[in-house]
Amino acid sequence: MNIDKVIAGFFIILAMTVNFGFFYGDMGDMELHSKYELFAAIIVNIIATLLKLGDRTQMGSVLLATSLVAVIQLVIAASVWTIFGYETISREVFGIVVSLSGGALLANITSVMLYVSETVKSKR
Amino acid sequence: MNDSALWLVLHKMKVPFLAIVISYTISIVGLLLIDGVDSYGNIYHMSIFDAFYFVTYTASTIGFGEYPFEFTYQQRLWVSAMIYVSVVSWFYAIGTLISLLQDKLFISQIKQYRFKKQIGKLKQKFIIVLGYNYITSEIIKIINDSDFRVVVIENDKDKVDNLILENFTPHVPVLRANSYDSQNLELSGVKSMFCKALVTLYKDDELNLRIAVAAKMLNSNIIIAAKSTTKNHTENLKDLDVEIVENPFKIIASQINLALMAPNILKLERWIYQIGKLNDSLPTLPQGRYIICGFGRFGQEIYKVFKANNIKAVFIEIKKTKKRANKDIIFGNSDDKHILKDAGIDKSVAIIAGTQDDTTNISILRTAKKLNKDIVTIARENHIEDFSIFKNADIDEIFMPSKILINKTTNALIKPSADKFIKYMRTQDEKWGQSLVKKLVQDIDENPSIYLLHLVEKRAIAILNKLKTTTLKLSIFKTSLSNNNLANNIIVLMIYNSSTKKEIVLPPWDTNIEKDDKILFACDDYSINEIEYIANNVFELHYAMTGQEKRYLSFKF
Repeated sequence: MNIDKVIAGFFIILAMTVNFGFFYGDMGDMELHSKYELFAAIIVNIIATLLKLGDRTQMGSVLLATSLVAVIQLVIAASVWTIFGYETISREVFGIVVSLSGGALLANITSVMLYVSETVKSKR
Repeated sequence: MNDSALWLVLHKMKVPFLAIVISYTISIVGLLLIDGVDSYGNIYHMSIFDAFYFVTYTASTIGFGEYPFEFTYQQRLWVSAMIYVSVVSWFYAIGTLISLLQDKLFISQIKQYRFKKQIGKLKQKFIIVLGYNYITSEIIKIINDSDFRVVVIENDKDKVDNLILENFTPHVPVLRANSYDSQNLELSGVKSMFCKALVTLYKDDELNLRIAVAAKMLNSNIIIAAKSTTKNHTENLKDLDVEIVENPFKIIASQINLALMAPNILKLERWIYQIGKLNDSLPTLPQGRYIICGFGRFGQEIYKVFKANNIKAVFIEIKKTKKRANKDIIFGNSDDKHILKDAGIDKSVAIIAGTQDDTTNISILRTAKKLNKDIVTIARENHIEDFSIFKNADIDEIFMPSKILINKTTNALIKPSADKFIKYMRTQDEKWGQSLVKKLVQDIDENPSIYLLHLVEKRAIAILNKLKTTTLKLSIFKTSLSNNNLANNIIVLMIYNSSTKKEIVLPPWDTNIEKDDKILFACDDYSINEIEYIANNVFELHYAMTGQEKRYLSFKF
């Protein structure tokens, strides 16, 4: 067992689960999507991205790419929320925020799938 | 994944980035949790963006102040704790980034990347030159004057700086790396379709061989010019199909041979190499007894020449360990008066100082001149820097391996036809050489230019179009364009056809010319101009053929 791999795996999966936690719920219902959960998703996703840096293998590069996609989508979601809905947020803007996080969730799922498939292949 | 510089940055910045993210997160979470008070005294919680904004300007020590309302004491307590963590992590990241930018590995990676880009952009035939020193810098200058470009690999930083300061035009890309590493050879574009040749003239024969092997493995189509001073290495190089193998000692030996047997041919050779003119005094060496100082690689080559020509020679060698190849060898310091006397200096006509040391060579010749006033002195000059000393030392003949190496290499690489002509010339005798020298001086001048015309679309479009319908004689090039009854001062040295492998030396004027012919002219500069006109301009060609002006428009009704 390698502590680095535990930490990396932990953050990659946590990035997906937290992201899912924010995304899950009725699209229009603002009470079901906590801003703190979005904040946590961004932080965990950034950490997961940083942990993937510097791996020059093909797999490492694809993993990094998926994480970058997730981070960018989440950051855009947070920015939209901040810019257009600082005081009161309309249903339309909120829809954008949630659907952006949905996109990030897809990227995170891809990332986890790749990570797991690599682990299954690995003999160590 | 080629740009390793970026990966290096990412890899090294991983931990600092993590430190920033974690410290920011802790700070932001703390600010979100702690109760604040707004200007009306109500309980107020910072929004995520407020907290992020505050941490951002605090961690980078910008310090805009407390935001959006004045902080409570709990908040200030937290902020003072958080400043220590976030500011330190911020500086840690900045420090790492700056030290990374000064990192040697990083800088070399960046340079390598730039070099690679330059090579990628090079859409012109180029030659790779390994090592930068006097010899190769001269080679670079000559190659740069032709259609080829140059790429250099050099390991020494000072030499690379010298090359950059030299400011070659066109620009010479240089890679600072070990040239014997095949990866670096690849980086410098050995595999590129534009790479035509590789020049390796290191002092170390073993290194030259190693590079030749690597280069031939990577791309068997390139021409390799390698230096080799021992028989063993020369054979190995030949086995590898290395096209140009150069042994400076052998070159000198063969020049001495020419000077003895056919000085006019040597004169022609020097003229083609542009180190002499045709009206120079004949580089003759006297017939008689010779003394040769040094029986190393140089001495042994000379020994072969002298033996083949039945010239009596005595060798003086300082190292006793060297093999006793003939009985006329004396062991001792050739700078010693007694040794020179023992060698019979008063009976000898010439002395060749051929040791590795320039000072010794000069000193030997000085001593020899004192002992025998009439002796002809011949020196081997090793280092180009000693040029002025040798010039003032009053030596009859100076042979310089480095200079010969420069001329040989560039000729073989960029003027292969001239090289072919020299090879042919070597097989001829003194009489042939004498008549050619006479003819050249009479018909042209004492220093004719050499011009090569290749009958291909790019260089001779008018001639090629004409050849499709009719035959042309070689004499077409001789026609003067001011009056077609007169002739320009031209001598055709050789015609060589690369597709039919036909080779005619000193062809008569009524020879038919064909497509793909390479014609080597000796002529004056004015004639070069006219030859180019005839080859490329249909009107001028028409005039040269018929003596009449070509009509600009021809109507076919």
